[in-house]
Amino acid sequence: MRTETLRQQNEIGDKGGLAASLRSRRVRGVMRTFDQAEAFLRDVSTTTSEVELADALATVARELGFDYFALTHHVDIRRAAQPAIRLHNYPEDWVQYYDDNSLGVSDPVHRASHLTSVGFAWSEIPNMLALTPRDHEVLARGQAQGIGDGFTIPANVPGETHGSCSFANPAGRPIRGEDLPVAQLVGAFGFEAARRLWRVRSADGAALPKLTDRQRECILWVARGKSDWEISRILGIQHETVVRHLKLARERYGVAKRTMLAVHALFEGSISFTDVMKR
Amino acid sequence: MVTLAEQIPSPLHHPPLRDMFEARKRVFVDLLGWDVPVLEGRYEADQFDDEHAAYLIVACGDGRHAGSARLLPTLRPHILDTLFPDLCAAPPPRGAQVMEITRFCLDRSQGARERLETRNRLVSALVRYALENGIATYTGVAEMGWLQQILAFGWRCRPLGLPRTVDGKMLGALRIDVTPETPALLAANGIYRPAPLERSEILEAA
Repeated sequence: MRTETLRQQNEIGDKGGLAASLRSRRVRGVMRTFDQAEAFLRDVSTTTSEVELADALATVARELGFDYFALTHHVDIRRAAQPAIRLHNYPEDWVQYYDDNSLGVSDPVHRASHLTSVGFAWSEIPNMLALTPRDHEVLARGQAQGIGDGFTIPANVPGETHGSCSFANPAGRPIRGEDLPVAQLVGAFGFEAARRLWRVRSADGAALPKLTDRQRECILWVARGKSDWEISRILGIQHETVVRHLKLARERYGVAKRTMLAVHALFEGSISFTDVMKR
Repeated sequence: MVTLAEQIPSPLHHPPLRDMFEARKRVFVDLLGWDVPVLEGRYEADQFDDEHAAYLIVACGDGRHAGSARLLPTLRPHILDTLFPDLCAAPPPRGAQVMEITRFCLDRSQGARERLETRNRLVSALVRYALENGIATYTGVAEMGWLQQILAFGWRCRPLGLPRTVDGKMLGALRIDVTPETPALLAANGIYRPAPLERSEILEAA
């Protein structure tokens, strides 16, 4: 990079015309790719249906040299009835296998995307996660179905189901590194467009009664593995009071077990991993 | 309470802002590992913390710093044109109606829920400040995870260029357009918290 800059400076000294033309060509190249992202954003800013959004994603995927795209929520633990986002143009057989095996929850690509906010090539996943034999099987199965290397852009919004936008190629065709920044932008804005269409947040979040501070404190200690009696000693309140706080909190999330209560509170951001692990 | 401090001759030596500079050090240096100046081992302040900067500060119930943001006028040197011009495909928007949001800071002492609530109050205060001061556009630089959150607030955002990796972090530049409809967009996402902006007392004295 540094030598290139030096060379360009020399050229400006020797023959400014050539250097200027080289520079303008490079700038045009950059503009072209940002133009692609902007064209996509123009398309999706007025999108009113999932079909239109899927079309726009398929088009931009093709422009970026990819055959496939998939924009998805990874799992919906809050409520099965709540609509999750999923748009894709993957081969039918692969989708069937994927759903039959509930891979939305365990897909190594999805798990890797929870570890970062920056897009990654699937070939990097072994450096991000310790893969199990089952993970290797899933990846091999994808290859067999014609899915090769891909690029996934994580889309994690606090309090909402994790999601991602992936672009992929048929097996044997490598991905083009120079287009990945455009893919990153398209993924981020594409996911937000989908969120808007699905109205993920909307009235649903507002309708849930808020946890009280005391309920939240009790859940924090549940997450740390304390019993109701232990929590009552820690907080200096009656045992029955703790039982009541946790019962109301479980009702709020519609769950029966204290483990699920803690998971839901973590998921929605009412407590954080840091809160739980803090000493 | 949300405080607005602007036209402070020497912000770092303005006692009501001390908490903020300390919180900024804990967030941007200790937590995020940014390579930014630290003064007296306690305060994060750079060359843009001067009389031209405006600060919005959200306080906890006990009056201490919970969150803050710094606004820089774009007619003067600011972060995007000084440090990250490569993040913009064209020259970044500038003008009397354009300000840059920088140092969006949520105090680490808060739990997850308080932090989100502080974030909501701060974003709402930014919108109010814009509407009350004729600011039509905010610009800003964000790391990708934070950028996804910014989009999810529901206000109207556009990228200014392609994201790039700088010092191991992938950064993107955004513009956010604020109009009288913006509060409703935030409200639709459940994050609008309207509150008046109280001017920092010393301003009256100065």
